[in-house]
Amino acid sequence: MLNKLISSVAFIFISSLFFSEHIYADGLPPLTHKLTAIKKTVKAPALRLKNLDGDVVDLKDFRGKVVLVNFWATWCPPCRREMGSLERLHQATKDKNVEVLAVNIGEDMDTVFSFLGTVDPSPYFQMLFDPDASSMKTWNVNGLPTTYIIHKDGTIAYRAVGGREFDHPNIIKSILELTK
Amino acid sequence: MNKIILLSISLLTFSCFAEAKQKIHTDSVTGAKTWSTQEHGVYFSLTQILPEQARAFYVNRGFSLKQIEPYVSSCVYMTVLRNDKAAGSIHFISNNWTLLVNGKPKNLIAVSEWLKRLESESAKKSALIAFRWAQFPPEQEYEPGGDWNQGMLSMGLPANEKFDIVARWDIAGKHVETTLKGVRCAK
Repeated sequence: MLNKLISSVAFIFISSLFFSEHIYADGLPPLTHKLTAIKKTVKAPALRLKNLDGDVVDLKDFRGKVVLVNFWATWCPPCRREMGSLERLHQATKDKNVEVLAVNIGEDMDTVFSFLGTVDPSPYFQMLFDPDASSMKTWNVNGLPTTYIIHKDGTIAYRAVGGREFDHPNIIKSILELTK
Repeated sequence: MNKIILLSISLLTFSCFAEAKQKIHTDSVTGAKTWSTQEHGVYFSLTQILPEQARAFYVNRGFSLKQIEPYVSSCVYMTVLRNDKAAGSIHFISNNWTLLVNGKPKNLIAVSEWLKRLESESAKKSALIAFRWAQFPPEQEYEPGGDWNQGMLSMGLPANEKFDIVARWDIAGKHVETTLKGVRCAK
């Protein structure tokens, strides 16, 4: 009995040491998969920006769809880390009334285009450009990346500050539930 | 005999967890050090950014060497704050954090102050935008479950200076602070 107890304590001790070192070995926390539900009814601010083709995209044209709006930059490490998962989310939800819009902050099209070539899988969702970062103020963004999930009626359903694994089943489930 | 082994393991476990509050990790490739702590359900870390790394980052964003030199040589850290499992949402203003250099308190240089200095050096608008958003947020709120940011934070100190940093935030209206001790600026 005592031997079993000793073994258990030793196992827990060694496991906890490994686990704590494993998580933060590179100095970066892992990307998570929790969205914060916005309890108050808050209408999403306006968003009207050019995409990679130079066409103007207006958030209000997506009313009736669930829209994910992600604010990012190519030099932002967690933004880069989560970009592939955004595309996997896009692939899993694009036929289910969900739109993904990524808003690049302050960079030119060439810089963004070359970065997108390095992302696996390559993003096919809408890439918008905010050259003077004015949307950061209107959307109350204090740090990159920040992501909002907009309900079909144009109100904010969820917010995520910092990098996420957007293709995690919990996030996909939360987003698809909004389409019902 | 078994009792002695059990007691030893218990003491070892206790002592390791007691000391696990602050950790130091050295990157095997760059040699940069990370000081980290996990308290009150919140993870906080500072990782040295070597001056040449910061210089390369900002020159690639459009700054000249002359414009960005005062910043990159001001003891810059990649800072992470993350609400893993605090009792509620946490809110902070990084200008309320304090440095202790040789026991004497010193305030951080605000991001707005750095921006003023860089604007006066006629830096490009796109470079200033990248600078602003590459900094650790001056004010932010994180919900439990993994809200976090990673950004640069200048201590305004010379190379190789040693200091403690007291970071402060509110958790569900309650004031909380944590200290990283013996942090060293990169050479």
